[in-house]
Amino acid sequence: MLKNVLPNLIRLTKIFSLFSILSGEINIYSHRHYDSDKILFKKFTQQTGIKVNVVKGSADQLIQRLVTEGENSPADILLTVDAGRLERAKKMGILQSIDSKILRKNVPQLMRDPDNNWFGLTVRARVIVYAKDRVKPTDLSTYEALAEPQWKGRIAVRSSNNIYNQSLLASILAANGSDSALSWAKSVRGNMARSPRGSDRDQARIVASGLADIAIMNTYYLGVMSNSPDITDQEVAKKLGVFFPNQDGRGVHINVSGAGVTASSKNKKEAIQFLEFLTSKNSQEVFAKENYEYPLKVRKNKSKLLKSWGKFKYDQLQLSILGDNNTDAVKIFDKAGWE
Amino acid sequence: MFSLFICILIFTPIALVALQFNNNTENWDHIQQTVLTTYIFSTLILVLSTAILSTFIGVTCAWLVACCEFPGRKFFEWTLILPLTIPTYIAAYSYYDLLEMFTPMMIWIRSNFSPESMIYFNDIMVYLVTSLVMTSVLFPYVYLSTRASFLMQGNQLIEAAKTLGHKPSNIFWKVALPMARPAIIAGLSLVVMETLNDYGAVEYFGIPTFTIGIFRSWLGMNDMGSALKLSSYLLFFVFFILYIEKYFRGEAKFHQKNDSSRTYSPNLLKGKYSILAIFFCLLPLCLGFIIPITRLLFWASSVSGSFFDITFFQVIFNSIGLASVSSLLIVTLATILIFTSSYFQSKIVKVANQFAILGYSMPGAVVAMGFLLIAGYINQSMGYLLTGTLISLTFAYLVRFLAVAWQPIDSGMEKKCDQINQASRILGNSALISMFKLNLPLLKKSIIVAVLLIFVDIFKELPLTLILRPFNFDTLATLTYDLNSQAQLHESAIPALLIILVTIPPIIFLNNQLDDRL
Ligand SMILES: [Fe+2]
Repeated sequence: MLKNVLPNLIRLTKIFSLFSILSGEINIYSHRHYDSDKILFKKFTQQTGIKVNVVKGSADQLIQRLVTEGENSPADILLTVDAGRLERAKKMGILQSIDSKILRKNVPQLMRDPDNNWFGLTVRARVIVYAKDRVKPTDLSTYEALAEPQWKGRIAVRSSNNIYNQSLLASILAANGSDSALSWAKSVRGNMARSPRGSDRDQARIVASGLADIAIMNTYYLGVMSNSPDITDQEVAKKLGVFFPNQDGRGVHINVSGAGVTASSKNKKEAIQFLEFLTSKNSQEVFAKENYEYPLKVRKNKSKLLKSWGKFKYDQLQLSILGDNNTDAVKIFDKAGWE
Repeated sequence: MFSLFICILIFTPIALVALQFNNNTENWDHIQQTVLTTYIFSTLILVLSTAILSTFIGVTCAWLVACCEFPGRKFFEWTLILPLTIPTYIAAYSYYDLLEMFTPMMIWIRSNFSPESMIYFNDIMVYLVTSLVMTSVLFPYVYLSTRASFLMQGNQLIEAAKTLGHKPSNIFWKVALPMARPAIIAGLSLVVMETLNDYGAVEYFGIPTFTIGIFRSWLGMNDMGSALKLSSYLLFFVFFILYIEKYFRGEAKFHQKNDSSRTYSPNLLKGKYSILAIFFCLLPLCLGFIIPITRLLFWASSVSGSFFDITFFQVIFNSIGLASVSSLLIVTLATILIFTSSYFQSKIVKVANQFAILGYSMPGAVVAMGFLLIAGYINQSMGYLLTGTLISLTFAYLVRFLAVAWQPIDSGMEKKCDQINQASRILGNSALISMFKLNLPLLKKSIIVAVLLIFVDIFKELPLTLILRPFNFDTLATLTYDLNSQAQLHESAIPALLIILVTIPPIIFLNNQLDDRL
């Protein structure tokens, strides 16, 4: 019985998976779940007639799945947040190099892989957010200063399982070396108001509640919160100010969300077309308007809210280095006892 | 042959993980020196506190409901199992702000004592609250098995003790409780497995357990070897618990309940005692069911109607379809496996079966890892892709949930069909005839129970579905998780509520059929 059934089943599923290849769609593995993306996917289909299929999931699991699937993977594009992750995907050999003039023009050099395996799509700044009623911006200066004892029991920041924190530490590692990165992580862990948990948004809430005075978080969450239908979130956002650290030095730590064409892609042409579409001026405005992320040309942003936070200088570190330093950063967090 | 093949297939992911125990991997030294003790201790603390709380609540409720009489007892008898319909990840997010309620207290501690004592206080609260949330939806496992034991095993002895003039409290401590010990341990082992299996709640409350560690080394450090090795540690921990469970349980087994009426006279509670009893049953019911449900309903009511579009109904259809088809398939396989081991009296099949049903004891994360390992081998050697199809998802469910089908069918077979099958074989009937003509009619009830149990489990299942599902495919569980990770708390309440609502009728039906799923 088994002898007959199994090959037939296999054939059946092959037919199903071939389906998408024949009709010229693109398949995306995406970590991002924002309305901005839905809007842009729809627009792309309207403009080109190419259908967009999406599997949403946590990026790490999607990367793992791509590795397992190898050449047979149906995915054309890996779309995720954080350069550290994109670089990891590249190292695992699941992306391919793309030669596109448009992409090279639209994406600044530090925001894409030097070998063009992945490209940034939006920019996010990881800043210090402070309670306006208790903290003066003049009290703040750099990420490094957060290790000082005056912040004992006053800092809110999420778990080191989170890639944003891993990338932040990776940038500090690149700037200051591993010894001082370790002592920084140790001191900041010691200065936390509570053991790390929750999302970036939760850190904002902790500061608003008075439990902590400052938080390390990405700016766009503040945008999301101040435009939230939830009034309590709006009030949280009102109480908080944005501070861009290290302005006298290397600049604030930035990161991208980005995408790459998979090594196994069967719809390479359409996939490239899709990336070019996402980096176009119009799409960039949608990202900024719907999700409060900075466009790739950070200084050219037109969003009122984004402008209200002010202009800033950002770290010119090649973002692929965040990926190179990622494992070391995780290990430093382990050593520092930052859960 | 077929049976053996299936057993090996199912056993492989587990074996692959167990084999990693002695493997030395890239980052193992680092893990051992830095975080391993943290993982071990936080897991132990969480498991222990959840186990203690669950025992306390589960046993007390079982005693009150089974051996006492007070107003509302009948109502509590079946409502106290309802928390089982709420998966831990949904419980965690319906209580997402519970910990924040202590913020004013923490600020007070900081201003009156020191930042250090505030941090210390927070650490205690994190474990207390997390284990309380876990307990609120897991205690029914203890409640169910203990209640069954109080009802079934204690009757005569309790009656005897009573006639000899012992006080009720004495009877509880000296007779009923020791006799219920195997049942309590059995229920507890399920609580422990579910606690170990949880990823959502511990992530929510920031407790670095083994499961968190597995994901961190696998995905965060990109070191599958170390993740597998951590999984194997967890696996041996599970073996250890299974061993304890077997040891304490001895030869005692649970049987399906035939008659729920109580054959001895219960303690009649009066006045303040009956109020106390009502309070004691109401509290876990509120914590584990009424409060989460009310909050979810409240959130859901604020969601606009446009949420209910065609895709949403597609998701409902996906969930029901997937759970139905998979549960039927798994139960069919389980029946075939159990039948062959009964009909042919085969030792090898029996042993293989024992290993194959370990799947349920393993955290979903471990099954997923083992599965991806196999999928990788098959992809490389045969060029056939296993991930992202419904077939592979169903197979993963099979590995994980076969044991759930096993218990009711196996005990049904043992009680009703073993001798028939041997006779039938001696009389020269073929295996197929024995199975269809003789066994299936007798096993009908057990099979229905098994299908429902698995249906409920798959309907709630999150980690496996999340990793292995196909393109554009959502179930209510993954939708809840997705919406939640986008911080759309109110929207995610809708699929969460649907999961709970759909699983309520089967759970109530099962309560009437079965005293324990073990
Ligand atoms: Fe984010």
